[in-house]
Amino acid sequence: MSRTETDSTGKKGKWTRRAFIGAGVVAGGALVVGVAVRQGNPIDRLGPLLADGKDEQLLNAWVKVDADNIVTAVIPHVEMGQGVYTALAQMLADEMDADWSKVRILEAPADMQYVSDSIGRDFLLPDLEVPALFEPTVAGGILELAQAMGLQFTGGSYSVRATGQRAMRTAGAAAREMLVAAAASEWQVPASEITTADSMFLHAESGKSEPFSKFALAAAEQSLPAKPRLKSPENYRIMGQPKARHDIPEKVDGSAIFGIDAKVPGMKYAAVKAAPVVGATVASMDATTAKTMPGVLQILNMGDFVAVVADGYWQAQQALNSIETTYSKTEGDSLDQDAIFARYARYLDEAGEDDGDMETEQGDAAKGFAEAAIKVEAEYKVPFLAHATMEPMNCTAWVRDGKCDVWSGHQAPVNARQAAADAAGLAFEDVTYHNAYLGGGFGRRSESDNIVMATRIAKATGYPVKMIWSREEDMAQDHYRPSATSRFRGGLDKYGKAVSWSNIHTHLFDPKDAPTVPYYNIASHRIRKVDVPMQLRFGPWRSVDHSQHGFFIESFVDEMAHAAGKDGYEFRRELLAGSERHLKVLDTAAKMSGWGNALPEKHGRGIAFVPSFGSIVAQVAEVDMSGPKPRVKKVYVAADPGFVINPDGFTAQMESAIAYGLTAALYGEITLGDGKVQQSNFHDYPMLRINEMPAVEVALINGDHKHLGGGGEPGLPPIAPAVTNAIFAATGKRIRELPLSRHSFA
Amino acid sequence: MIKLNVNGQAREVDVDPATPILWVVRENLEMTGTKFGCGIAQCGACTVHLDGKPVRSCSTPVSAAAGKAITTIEGITGEDGTLHRVQKAWIKAQVPQCGYCQSGQIMAAVALLEKNPRPSDTQIDAAMAGHVCRCGMYNRIRQAIKAAAGQPATETAA
Amino acid sequence: MTTARTLACVTVFLLAGCSADAAPGPVEQIIVREPGAAPVATGATAATDNDPASALIAEGKAAFANCAACHTIEKGATNGAGPNLFGIVGKAAGAVTGFAYSDALKASGIIWTATNLDSYLADPAAKIPGTTMVAGAIAEPAKREAVIAYLESTTAN
Repeated sequence: MSRTETDSTGKKGKWTRRAFIGAGVVAGGALVVGVAVRQGNPIDRLGPLLADGKDEQLLNAWVKVDADNIVTAVIPHVEMGQGVYTALAQMLADEMDADWSKVRILEAPADMQYVSDSIGRDFLLPDLEVPALFEPTVAGGILELAQAMGLQFTGGSYSVRATGQRAMRTAGAAAREMLVAAAASEWQVPASEITTADSMFLHAESGKSEPFSKFALAAAEQSLPAKPRLKSPENYRIMGQPKARHDIPEKVDGSAIFGIDAKVPGMKYAAVKAAPVVGATVASMDATTAKTMPGVLQILNMGDFVAVVADGYWQAQQALNSIETTYSKTEGDSLDQDAIFARYARYLDEAGEDDGDMETEQGDAAKGFAEAAIKVEAEYKVPFLAHATMEPMNCTAWVRDGKCDVWSGHQAPVNARQAAADAAGLAFEDVTYHNAYLGGGFGRRSESDNIVMATRIAKATGYPVKMIWSREEDMAQDHYRPSATSRFRGGLDKYGKAVSWSNIHTHLFDPKDAPTVPYYNIASHRIRKVDVPMQLRFGPWRSVDHSQHGFFIESFVDEMAHAAGKDGYEFRRELLAGSERHLKVLDTAAKMSGWGNALPEKHGRGIAFVPSFGSIVAQVAEVDMSGPKPRVKKVYVAADPGFVINPDGFTAQMESAIAYGLTAALYGEITLGDGKVQQSNFHDYPMLRINEMPAVEVALINGDHKHLGGGGEPGLPPIAPAVTNAIFAATGKRIRELPLSRHSFA
Repeated sequence: MIKLNVNGQAREVDVDPATPILWVVRENLEMTGTKFGCGIAQCGACTVHLDGKPVRSCSTPVSAAAGKAITTIEGITGEDGTLHRVQKAWIKAQVPQCGYCQSGQIMAAVALLEKNPRPSDTQIDAAMAGHVCRCGMYNRIRQAIKAAAGQPATETAA
Repeated sequence: MTTARTLACVTVFLLAGCSADAAPGPVEQIIVREPGAAPVATGATAATDNDPASALIAEGKAAFANCAACHTIEKGATNGAGPNLFGIVGKAAGAVTGFAYSDALKASGIIWTATNLDSYLADPAAKIPGTTMVAGAIAEPAKREAVIAYLESTTAN
């Protein structure tokens, strides 16, 4: 039987005997909840998911229930250590009333049907409140666009707050309703009399109980509910619990497979070196010695890089090291660190008072500053930063007979698959992309440069090739966090209240609101940017533009506080007056840290407040300045992400972001000389280690369970300014340029 | 042919004796639990044991393993699949994030506790400071080492 | 190069990949051998020398390549992850300017005689507990002897 579904949402989907694939017919979050598929579906690209056994029902795109009553959550995101597999499964399992001990997790294949519409909506229509009447039409359009952009991607602290909140929960709730409808039909009782818990149905009146699997087949025949009801927090059983992560056991016994661990029979290995100066190409290659070295199979000049393919990676790298290469000349050959910042200064100077691109303007900030009783001006600079994931960039590829297989750890599997197809000159359908765990993403693995290189090498050789970048190559060929200069003018009235805020800075990528401070009560704002050509390739780095602007803004707020003769905490309280949710976070951090209590001599406390990615975070850093360099002793964190799905996971993300951001604040600096990156490995790009890690105390606040914020990135932006504000409190020395290793504190 | 003793098993590999143990283990023996992070002994991801002592396998030629026992992360788990108390402590404290550095961290922690069953914070620092964790799980690593040693948790070193 | 080796190296100049859409193929492709084919003789070993002493130094210099990841050897060269080792033999431990030694090494009071260097390189943590020098850098006694001979040669005339 087939019927066309036109439910109250007004958009047509198509329900056939075997599958329901509908865009815009939905539920709750206005996206495709359901691709309900049974075995034998001829258009089933999801076939592999059902290959585990017969009698399995793929109820919808996100969940399946098998004959053993195991619920498998199909997660369209990648696990790079942020605990997303588990958090998303918690959201689905809770709404479904599944038995958590019987929940399994599967990463969705790199398939267009798994495109994260939720992310599409957030990227394309942020903050848009769409009237319910129009939801499905908008949803349909969003989905098409998202698919076109190949958006199946993990990053931007989106997985829980978009896919989790909108898709996983809706899918779980829809699955539950369909299951209950099936049980009601079989038992001939009203659905309202059936309760569910731990993957079981119960009909109290008759005492009947059955596992979900009993009616899973029948459930697949049910129509997708238009609006499945989601739980409210008092009914959460699994969300809000510190459930242990599913992927951790394999990460302690060496069995977890990362991109670099791919195994393909007959696989060979490649070491590569790309031109160190961006835009240069290989002018000449002298491989005389390399040809004679052990294990070498091929030596390739690919134009923009040189590759050696050998029986083993080490042999390939040794041979590569022996090759003398010259490169073409470029304009960038003479660029050095000073030249880059001089260029920023020149562009900012030339923008003057009126040019540049206006980002936000409210009131008359120029007038406000001119008439201010107290005037504060400052300029800040931050350097390029490398991602330095623990697992160096790598990719394994095999191109033969019009097909291509690619293995890697990537944040955007659909993009990786397309990049391989383009590089091999094949269609998307001819490529199979195999994703693995990522040994660190941080934004670096959303790029596909490694995919393209490996595919090109594999195409040239005809056999499977695993390309591994040395740490030196990884450091030299990053897509860096951009360096930036930012200039501020702040005006205060005679009571020390902030009245005007003017800012002009270099670049702006993402998120667009990073330089803005709408949450602070300042009468006039004027924020502009100037685009400046950067020598280096750049890309998203954990917390993206918030990493620079968090430092700039919270340092300047502190300078304004000082000029006003006020304490940094009290000054921010005034700026946040009336915003209950923001104040609660700030007050919590201050209270935790014992703000105002005496500290030992040469110790200081600094506070910083940065809302980002939908979460509100305040941090207080306690720094000991009695030695030759700053020692961060402790960091207090108050964080409100709306609702914390997994408290242990979220806490770990705060600790993680602090370590990552503190490494950058203390040491992080990628410098240029002769157009090339000067850093090469961990001895000249130092890392924070266990002996320098501060104690971290985290307080979690559930401020708004309907609007979730992210966890992966919001913990990073406050740490640098919290530390530099603490240094000021302890020593009176104001730091306006990172990293701290540039400064002497003797 | 080079004869090796890896995780208690006799193995033979046909490699240049200068090949670092890391690549012999990963490629010739196909055991990928030991990881490549930097190649110059700066990060610790490649740590294996030679006669129980932690070494940087990226910088140690396989010839150096002659007559010695190599233990990798795969050999830390018992033959019947029982986890070492360090691995159990790691799971209980939910230590790993991305997990890439953790094989090396665990190898170092196991060797530390063999030598020093109740290490102080300073001793933990000395044994573990050579290991980079880009995901920053240092405090959990410290907690887990103390738990495995049966000691109460502390926050950090001095 | 023998004739066999010359024939084994095939240099191929290719145009861009077959499909107009594909990324560019190799500009130059040297096929040394196919996978599964017998490997060619390995690269040249260190030249033999009639003088055993200079042969030892040459061997040490070759072995130093492993150390070069962290240590420089030329006079006045910058410190890396480890200190510059020019003239290290006979110096007091912890004395190279500008290097951030571990407290343990600075406090050791050791003079770097050949004997001390040998036992240190054999097991750094046993010799100076708390040192940050990595273990297993030069595991073979013969190699250590060669490297130390090379280190000594940097100040000899």
